[in-house]
Order: sequence, then structure tokens, then C-alpha cells
Amino acid sequence: MKAMILAAGKGTRVRPITFSTPKPMIPLIRKPVMESIIELLRDHGVKEIVVNTSHLAPVIEEYFRDGDQFGVRMAYSFEGVMVDGELQGKALGSAGGMKKIQNFSGFFDETFIVLCGDAWIDLDLQKVYEFHKANGSQATIVLKEVPREEVYKYGVVKTDADGRILQFQEKPAVEVAVSNTINTGIYMFEPSVLDHIPDGEEFDIGGQLFPRLVEAGVPFYGVSVPFQWVDIGSVPDLWDATRLILGGGVSGFKVPGKEVKPGIWTGINVSIDWDKADVQGPVYIGSSTSIGDGAKIIGPAVIGSNCAIEPKAIVNQCIIEDYTRVTGLAHLEQKIVFGNKCISPSGESFDIAETDIGFVLDDARKELEMSEFHALIFDFAKEVGELD
Amino acid sequence: MQVTKNDVGGVTVIEIGEKRFDASVAPDLKQYVLDLVGAGQNRIVIDLGIVEFIDSSGLGSLVGVLKGIGANGQLAVCNVQSQARDLFKLTRMDRVLNIHSSADEAVASIS
Repeated sequence: MKAMILAAGKGTRVRPITFSTPKPMIPLIRKPVMESIIELLRDHGVKEIVVNTSHLAPVIEEYFRDGDQFGVRMAYSFEGVMVDGELQGKALGSAGGMKKIQNFSGFFDETFIVLCGDAWIDLDLQKVYEFHKANGSQATIVLKEVPREEVYKYGVVKTDADGRILQFQEKPAVEVAVSNTINTGIYMFEPSVLDHIPDGEEFDIGGQLFPRLVEAGVPFYGVSVPFQWVDIGSVPDLWDATRLILGGGVSGFKVPGKEVKPGIWTGINVSIDWDKADVQGPVYIGSSTSIGDGAKIIGPAVIGSNCAIEPKAIVNQCIIEDYTRVTGLAHLEQKIVFGNKCISPSGESFDIAETDIGFVLDDARKELEMSEFHALIFDFAKEVGELD
Repeated sequence: MQVTKNDVGGVTVIEIGEKRFDASVAPDLKQYVLDLVGAGQNRIVIDLGIVEFIDSSGLGSLVGVLKGIGANGQLAVCNVQSQARDLFKLTRMDRVLNIHSSADEAVASIS
């Protein structure tokens, strides 16, 4: 079995994170979601993976390179052009991206799986493969039941008793949805399916290819296999997923590092005096991070690597990226610090540089600079006892 | 710098008429309010309802006003929008500023 990972999306619903990081590279406890997918594919014997890239392609390509270090072989199908030294995406749609690869090399010469790079899954691909083969299916969608009130976010699918696809609805209103069974965006195909995709035009799998397959009477099935699916489709999704994982709600997700105390995981080379810092799990602390005396960290929280949480700082339920300095004045509560932005779980954010608050929150590699106003605030906080 | 000033029962309510309360506004605002305080108007409400964005100098000017008034008067702020609320909390200034949801409440708190 071969695979294609869809990684060319712009990730507009995960802005501002996706201004600097493509959606498949969004870290869940410091590990890009797509890395977990590659491990899953590898563990099921998939050894050749083509990834279509566009938005921020180099971030993905430079991280995974040829896949050797992950035990797979990887290649990239770039969808875009370079204009004045800048990459510009030229979307082909999910199906158009498949067709481009096929026309290029005929890569898809056996059963293959197509999936998005932006959801953590522990799907048993072998079970899907067995179902796909047993039914002589040409295209199989992995389905999942969701609470009825959430169907509006997804493609809703209706099947007959054998799993054959009867009907599709793209993001229907809850009242008119024909079921609460949804398309997870994970597909298994035979190469013959590519004959139904036109050359050189933007073409979507869910919206265009599937209606064609239904019309053409192609053996087309949906299969429900129990698995955990942690979608990172928006900032609130990322927030919820991180908390779920730290709370032990995603059984297959191994928190990296070592559990040094119940509910507290760390990398190596962490500088902390456990008697003087107040750390309440579940918390992950990355390697080479320092936690100052009197600092308070309340979970669920993820502190990246090479961070400096200075003495007296309060970090309450946050996700903080690598190389972040949180000074002793800071009271950081329910925030994601990523890409020089301070982001609320709802997705609202402000820019750390624009707000000129380097004296509270900044890149740890920058020198701490104190303007007159910064000193005024700092000194006042000291005066009124906020830093005692 | 756009500001409107109203007297409400002996309390001076100053509404900042700028969407961005940053270094282009902050020093003037601080001086403006401290001048009023110097002239004896020492109960001040600063209405931030129009301010969508505040940076460290905006915050610093509020702290400067608070320090300038000291024990000789009172300061309250009101109608704090979400970004400013975040910044106040992040710098712990939410715990030293007298913050209210409306101008009426703020006035009442220092009347």
C-alpha cells in the first residue's frame, strides 16, 4: 500500500498559527501532527508517501526530507510557483493533486490511502484494507459517527446496510442532515479511480470526485472502524486536543519525555528546583527549559524547549512554544504563545512585538529591553507587592 | 490625541477617542490627565471603550497616571476591550487598576 498526504491547505481557520506554520506541522505537545501520521502509516507497512505541498511548503519539506529518518520514503508534489523569490500557492484541489502525481510518474500503481495531514488518528489501516478488498471496492471512505449537532462541520454520508455509499451532503444544516455519519477525510483508493479526475484543473475529492463515482456506479463504500480522531481544524480544536492528551484522554498518544512525577513530563537538561517552583500537572516541560524559583505552572500546560520561565512568573493552562521567555511579571492564563502571537483559545490574538511587551513575554534569545514605560510598570508592580 | 472630557458629579470622565492607544498617544494622555490632577481634578475615570488596541506605552501611561495621583485622588478605568483586558492581566495590572464595566459604575466607585 502507498499513501498520499494532503498538506497543501492554507489552514485559514487556524490563523494566526498558520501564518508561520502549515497546518500539518502544528505541534501537539511539540510533535507535528503529520509526524504522527507518518509513523502510523509506517507501522502499517506503508513505505512510500507522496505529500502535496503549497502553503509554506519548505517548512514541511525541510522537516521530513526524504523520510529516511522516519523509516519511510517520502516525496513532495509542489503546487505553486515562485514569483520574485516568493512561493505562491496554486491550489489544484485534493483530487487534482492526486491526478498531478499520477500524470507525473504513475506513482499510484497499487491500493493507496489518501489522508489529510492535520488530524491525529490511531486508525487500524489493516482493517480498512481488509474491508476495501473484501468488497471489491474501488474507493472507500473511513466514516465516523459524530454528535448530531456537529454534522454541519463535515461531509455527511449515507450508506446502505453493506456500506455502499448512497448519498453525500457537504456541510449540511443539522435539520436536513441525512445521518450523523461523517467523512473523516481518510480514503482508500484503487488506481482506477484516477480515471475519473480531469487533467490539469482544480478538482476536489469530496465535492466533485465522489459524486462522479456515485454517478458512474463505481464500487464505492464507507467503513466505520472505531478509532480516535483528533482534528486540528481550528485554534479551539488545538486547544481542546492538547488538553485532552495531557489529561490522558487520547490513549494512543504517548506524551514525549519522561514522567518525572505523576502528571509531569519533562525532556532532558531541564533547570528547575522542584522544591521552589510550584508545578501542578498535567504539565509537559521541554528540554533545556528553565523554571525559576517561585514560578507557578498550572496544568494542563505545555512549555516548549529552551524556554525561560523566570522566577515568580505565573503560567496557568497555556501552550507555549519553544524559545519563549516569560518574565516574573507575567500572569499568563489560558493562552497559546506561538509565532510571536499571544492567542486566546477562541482564536483571538495580539502580536507580542506590536504590543511592545518584550518585558513580559518574548523570544528567549532576545535581550531583555526596558523602556521608560516598561520600567514604570515593572517598578509599580514591585511597589504594590505584586512580585513578592 | 482625541479625548472627550465630562464632569459627572465631581468626577472627571475622560474618554480616549483613539482606536490605538500606543506611543503616539500615551505621553500626551499621561500629561493631560496629570495636568487636570494638578489643577485639582483628582477623581478621574478613563473610559477605554473606543480603544481596540493598547500597547505597553498605553499601559505605562495609565500606570504613570495612577502613580501621579497617588494618595491624593482616585483613578478608575472602564469599558476595557478584550485586547486591553488581556494585556492588563498579563502584566498583573488588572490587580492594581480599579476596573469597571461601565462609566457609571466607575464614577460610582470613586464618588
